[in-house]
Amino acid sequence: MKRAFLSLPGPMVVKVILAIIIVIAALVALNFIYDWMGNFLDSGGNIG
Amino acid sequence: MSNTVRQVQPKTRSSAPRRSVFARIVRAIGWTSIGLGLFLLGFLFHQLFVTTFFAQRANVALEAEAVEYFDEVEITQVPYIPKGTADSSTPGDSIGLDGPTGPDQPAGGPDEPAFIFVEGQPKRGQAFAILTIPKIPKLQDGWTIVEGVARSQLKTGTGHYPATPLPGQPGNAAIAGHRTTYGAPFYDFEVLEPGDIIEVETAVGVSVYEVRENVIVRPTEIWVTQDRPGAWLTLTTCHPKLSSRQRLVVFAEMVSGPNYETIYG
Repeated sequence: MKRAFLSLPGPMVVKVILAIIIVIAALVALNFIYDWMGNFLDSGGNIG
Repeated sequence: MSNTVRQVQPKTRSSAPRRSVFARIVRAIGWTSIGLGLFLLGFLFHQLFVTTFFAQRANVALEAEAVEYFDEVEITQVPYIPKGTADSSTPGDSIGLDGPTGPDQPAGGPDEPAFIFVEGQPKRGQAFAILTIPKIPKLQDGWTIVEGVARSQLKTGTGHYPATPLPGQPGNAAIAGHRTTYGAPFYDFEVLEPGDIIEVETAVGVSVYEVRENVIVRPTEIWVTQDRPGAWLTLTTCHPKLSSRQRLVVFAEMVSGPNYETIYG
C-alpha cells in the first residue's frame, strides 16, 4: 500500500490528492457494483 | 588487540529464498480468498446497513414532503362509474377476491350519480401517501410511498405502480416494497393474515383496508396488479427473504375511507 502510494507521481501534496481521488472513485465504483448485485438479493418486490 | 569491524550485508530481495511454485499458488489462492471474503462482507454490510441507513433518513424527509403534498394537491369530486362485473376467469376471482357488499353498485341507486374524491396524479418520485400497518412494528408509525417502482424510486423503500389507481381510489392500487434492503419496510410481511388492517393516508384522507389473502407468485405474474371491481390494495415484495426469486403478494380490500360509501354503497 505504501509502495503504491509512493509510486504516485508528483510531490507529496499531489500524491495525497491523487490518493483521495482514487479512493473516492473506488468507493463510488464499489457502491455501483454492490447496488447492481443487490438486485439479486432484493429487487424491490416489483412485478412485471 | 585489534578492533575488527564486522560488516553486515543488508539482505536483498534476490538473496531471499525463492518460493516454490506450489507455495506461490497457495499464497495467491489465500490472498484471493481474503479479498473475495472482504468484498462479500462489504456487500452484505452495504445491503443490510448502508442502504437501510439512507432509506430511513430519506423516509423522514419524504414524510414531511408527503404531508406538504397533502395540502398542495388539488382534490376534485368526479362521478363514479363502476367497472363491469368481474370476469370469473381472472386469477383474482379464482382466489376469492370478491367485494363484500357488491362493489359494482354505486351509492345513490342506479339513476343518481355518485361522486368520489380524486386527487391529481403525483409525478414520479413524489412522496404522496403514508402506509401504516399496526401489526408490523416497523410500519406502525408509517412509511412513505413514492410514485414509481423504478430502482431509483424504490430506494426509499416503497413505490406505487404508476399504471394502477392511487390508494383510496376504486380499482386495484398496487405498491411494491423492499423486503430485506433499503429499510426493508416489508420485512415481516409473512405475518400478515386475513383480517389484518392496513391504512393508507393520501391527500383524500385515510383509507382502511383489510387483508383478504396472501399469495406467492413468480415475478412475471402481472395479473396481481390488474384492475378489479371494488377498491383494493395490493402489496408486493420479494420472497423468500434475501432472494428475488419469487414475490409475496398481499391483497387487501377497502373497509372504510372517504370513497368507501360511494364504491361499495
